[in-house]
Amino acid sequence: MRGSMIRHLILKDWRLNRMPISLSIVLGLIALLVAQCGVEAVRLLGSVWFFISLCVLGSMLPGVAIVNERKKQTLAFVMSLPVSSVQYTIAKGLSILAMFLFPWLTLLISALVVIETRDDIPHGVIPMLIILAMLPLIGFCIMSAAALVGESEGWLMVASVLCNSSYWFAWYLLARMPSLAANWGRPVAVWNPAAFMVLSSEVGSIALIMAITFFFQSRKRDFI
Amino acid sequence: MTDLATDLAVELRGVSKKYRYFTLDNIHLKLPRGQIMGLIGANGAGKSTTIRILMGLVHQDSGEARVLGHSMPAEQVAAKWDIGFASEDMRLYDSMTLGWHMSFIQSIYSTWDSAYAHLLLKRFGLRADQKIKGLSHGQRVKAALLLVLARKPKLLVLDEPTTGLDPVARHEILRELTNVMADDSRSILFSSHNTQDVEQISDQITFIDRGRIIDSMDKEAYLDRWRRLRLEVPLGIELPALPGIIGVEQQGRLAVATANAFVPDLAQAYESTGAHVQRVENMTLEEIFIANVEHSREEVEA
Amino acid sequence: MHGGFTFSQSDKRPIYLQIMEQIKQRIAVGDWAEGQPIPSIRQLAVDLHVSVITVKRAYYELEREGIIVTQHGKGSHVASTPGLGTRLNEQELEQHLEQATRIAAQLGMRPKELEDRLREAGDRLAEKDLI
Repeated sequence: MRGSMIRHLILKDWRLNRMPISLSIVLGLIALLVAQCGVEAVRLLGSVWFFISLCVLGSMLPGVAIVNERKKQTLAFVMSLPVSSVQYTIAKGLSILAMFLFPWLTLLISALVVIETRDDIPHGVIPMLIILAMLPLIGFCIMSAAALVGESEGWLMVASVLCNSSYWFAWYLLARMPSLAANWGRPVAVWNPAAFMVLSSEVGSIALIMAITFFFQSRKRDFI
Repeated sequence: MTDLATDLAVELRGVSKKYRYFTLDNIHLKLPRGQIMGLIGANGAGKSTTIRILMGLVHQDSGEARVLGHSMPAEQVAAKWDIGFASEDMRLYDSMTLGWHMSFIQSIYSTWDSAYAHLLLKRFGLRADQKIKGLSHGQRVKAALLLVLARKPKLLVLDEPTTGLDPVARHEILRELTNVMADDSRSILFSSHNTQDVEQISDQITFIDRGRIIDSMDKEAYLDRWRRLRLEVPLGIELPALPGIIGVEQQGRLAVATANAFVPDLAQAYESTGAHVQRVENMTLEEIFIANVEHSREEVEA
Repeated sequence: MHGGFTFSQSDKRPIYLQIMEQIKQRIAVGDWAEGQPIPSIRQLAVDLHVSVITVKRAYYELEREGIIVTQHGKGSHVASTPGLGTRLNEQELEQHLEQATRIAAQLGMRPKELEDRLREAGDRLAEKDLI
């Protein structure tokens, strides 16, 4: 019975947020098409746009799916259903994660396909691509956590500003890491220890963010 | 097996909650199964907070809350299967239709009565294909009520169900609420500052003011305790302070005494002092409420 | 059967008294016969859109006055005492007569004057074919 309440809430969220999801997928795919064009500058523009759409999606979803529920006062409606605040958090977390992962994976996989099919892109960029693509995912988790725990647009905005301004910095740092950057031009994807370390700490930080979120959510005494 | 706890639909014992600018203090409340309780209070008196605590949405600082036998907020999930909640500050999803909400609720609760739901649509003058954002305030309130009524829950908890509604809509809602009472295993707790509605349909009344319960009891017994005595006081007579009288207002030779524990002897008592009792009047719940609040505030300040 | 009950908010008397009066009227007029079953407390409460406790009070008082009988588990019915309707009408007459007497006293009328006035009232009604 419990599992099914979570399922109901997830389906409800997907049904409510059909527009934002479709929109972001479309934007991303356009970005990818642009990335395929021959001219270098246009390709660069396309890749930048690709990451931007992921970042935009990352900050938009928590606002639309989390903060709005409090602002538009529909949270009381949801909490009148037989769910606890923890179940609500699980359902909300899963639904927006899925909402983000779906376009994120689509875009990532499409990028990988483009790299595969085109001869002029070295496969050495693949580890870097994945590591960089994880950044909006981490940012998304941070912003969702801020929206859920902070309960307001204010907190979401703070997190949003922090994340969006940090992406480029992180990107810059990672791109300059000698152990990663060295293998860019290789025809084959190279997964060296440095790459694994960066990737696993990215995944680890996501798990940490989730744990902290649940901790704070479960301790709330005034859920509404 | 008589388990007292399950004969009470709602029981609050010593519930307290402290906020920065408001404290809910030592709330005691009992609603027997099969009855309707009206919770009356001014805005900001603590009605909504009390209701949120008994719904498990807010965790009390101290005291016990039991709803349908379940301890709140610990067992809120179990309890909420049998509770229908609607509050004034609750909103449905603007971009979705009423019909979508109905299907949503129906998919969760097996007690959904489709026939009754459609009957309510007709009675309330609503259409399932309408989006919530296109509804007027009154229609939204009715839509939210439809969603809880059609499920036929054991307990209805309603925060201001008739506030801001036109007289026709109010009448429709009161009618549906009293229809619920045909089943003596179902109960309703509703808050309102519309004393007329409370007076009409409540079995139990609870007055709350500034975070404290002033009175909580059986409505008929309560109404019976209150009277206004209109007195003619001849010059030179001073009205004595009598037990059961909480206030006297005198202007010249006419006085009005308000009794909150009326017995017929009181009229006698006044007559014996030389004052003449012109009339003994019943009071409406509104008059009682105002008199009660003023009296209790005076007591607190004293 | 229970249509036609109405409450006036301008009537300051408690609702249970209004219910009692309207039930008595129906019996007095003969719409509700002696021994006839009447709606259960809960049923009447639902039909009138009032609280159960109010109808309970009304029924309790009516039972005390011997006008209705409630049997546990079997519902309620009008008391089977013969001539109940008549008795209720008599009661109402008594009340009106007392009130008339009291007001007449306030006006300083003597009993003979009151008698004459009563006769006059009867004549007026007869003229209009109302009795």
